[in-house]
Amino acid sequence: MRRIIAALLLSTVMASAAVAADLPKLRVGYVPEPAHGLYFVAKEKGYFKEEGVDVELFQFASVSEGMAALKAEKLDVGTFGTTAPLLFISKGSDFTFFGGMMIGGQAIVARPDRLAELAGKDLKVFKGKKIGLVKLSTGDVIFKGALKKAGIDWKKDITFTEFGSAAAVSEAVKKGAVDAGLLWPPHFSLAEKNSGLKVAHYLEEFYPKYTCCRIVAPTARLNADREPYRRFLTALIRAYRFYKTNPEETVQIYTKSLKIDEDIVRNETYVNKVAESNPDPLRKGILDFWQHIRDAGYIPQDYPIDKYINTDIYKQALDAVIKKNPKDKVYQDMLAFYKKHN
Amino acid sequence: MNPEFAQIIVAAAVAAIMVLADAVPGLAAQTPLRLGYLDHPGSALCIVAAAHGHFGEEGLRVKLVRFTDSASGLAALETGAIDAGAFSVGTALTEIAHGKQLRIIAGGGTPTASDPLADLDETAQQKLDRAGIVVLVPANRPAAEKGVIIGLTAALIRAHRTLRQQPAPARRATLRKLSHGEAIPDLSFDPNPDYWRMLRIWQGLGLQYAAMPRDFLANHVYEEIYCDALDRQLLGPMDTVLHDLFSKAVCTPNCCPANSGRLFTLQGGSTQ
Repeated sequence: MRRIIAALLLSTVMASAAVAADLPKLRVGYVPEPAHGLYFVAKEKGYFKEEGVDVELFQFASVSEGMAALKAEKLDVGTFGTTAPLLFISKGSDFTFFGGMMIGGQAIVARPDRLAELAGKDLKVFKGKKIGLVKLSTGDVIFKGALKKAGIDWKKDITFTEFGSAAAVSEAVKKGAVDAGLLWPPHFSLAEKNSGLKVAHYLEEFYPKYTCCRIVAPTARLNADREPYRRFLTALIRAYRFYKTNPEETVQIYTKSLKIDEDIVRNETYVNKVAESNPDPLRKGILDFWQHIRDAGYIPQDYPIDKYINTDIYKQALDAVIKKNPKDKVYQDMLAFYKKHN
Repeated sequence: MNPEFAQIIVAAAVAAIMVLADAVPGLAAQTPLRLGYLDHPGSALCIVAAAHGHFGEEGLRVKLVRFTDSASGLAALETGAIDAGAFSVGTALTEIAHGKQLRIIAGGGTPTASDPLADLDETAQQKLDRAGIVVLVPANRPAAEKGVIIGLTAALIRAHRTLRQQPAPARRATLRKLSHGEAIPDLSFDPNPDYWRMLRIWQGLGLQYAAMPRDFLANHVYEEIYCDALDRQLLGPMDTVLHDLFSKAVCTPNCCPANSGRLFTLQGGSTQ
């Protein structure tokens, strides 16, 4: 009897392995930021396999290394911010935005003794100030976009000082070399924890639902076979639902996978809700982001970026999930969000 | 160009080597990197880097090889007779469009018009742009040599700073050596390979053929090297010259918790 059970178990294991081996594979690159955790939820909860796609995750230490791997087609999917893919596309690389990973997430930090003068909901408080940032970071692009929307001529009224890293921005704020600094997760939390700085504002206060990290793929691969990409997004949509409905387990998965302090993950994700892990492609946000880069003078020529955004695959994935779960509120909210932002 | 002919030219040029190596302990045993350059004031960054020990500061031993025309220099680069070269951008881009496996890693000196209204003349401006200097390496260099190429570019950035900070008479003297008694042209130096400037020249020369992929030129302008080389300068003191270079560079921003750079500030110094 034991032999029969063992044989059955063995055949089951072999059958599972065979199924996994037959699944279409996607090699997915990412950088370790808290809001990139949906990949790990989907992996840990088995959504990728259930949806029929074998996803292998590759962590990169830098965006430029990740983009190089994507360009060399060593990856099928990349999650390397918004700026980097836009720069590559504007120089002729054929990548397509087809999903998202993070919305929001940028903060303005200051020394505690400077908080009062930066308080309030009016961006005019930054006139005459010196702001530290990492050039072309999401905070740089979005803050300048917010200032422009508020009618502030930042080229005239604000001094921006560029630094080589988020850590250097924190240090400059701490030393008083700049009045405030723009940082992203988890750096502003680290700045609060390690350097005694305080978050003066989240950029969401001035610029709701702006794009941060987008999901891109080499266009030729995406168009050659969209089905694995649709399955991939379906799994992420289900992971998003899990993230919205199971906070504590999500915190544990994010913490374990990204090796970032648990309190930081919890605070940024669920307490302060600084950034949202959201797979929506956010087409309008990408186009706005591109325009802000152009307005800032970083890129001298325009480019038809809209041709490099595909929202259909996400919509198909979302529609299929809703068809199976027509009354699910999270999925209905995702649909409403999609309609508004794409 | 016939490769054999190119080798003969290079052999002759090698005989005219000007500066051999930086006198830095520990570099003597290193095989020198052979850096060709066009005998023109626009190549001054190479000469200044050698004369002021900037190659040695980046851990490189460099042998300079003089060329009197860009075509033969580029041919030498293709055959492997030299490892890198500073040659005319117009010639270099034309050769790249014709299939030469080269990548631009840095810029150099570009002639500028002395007449302030001259930049309104687009044709004249394009002519000047094409006469500028860029530094190239063979595209097929192994990845293991990336550090060497970054070091080379970093040395040229240092040279740019040295040249900019030189008093005007010293600067003129440097350029005069490369002018061979002729009037020193007005030149603007910039070590940034600047893809967008390359694209303007590329388009002005009509080099984007229909069958070429859209990223053909981008694949031959190695801006990542320049950005990495510029990042290295964060380890040293900051000044207005470096500040200008940082402000103009369009580099992929870094993101991650592990990333920690030094403080980039005009007040100078790092706090990390």
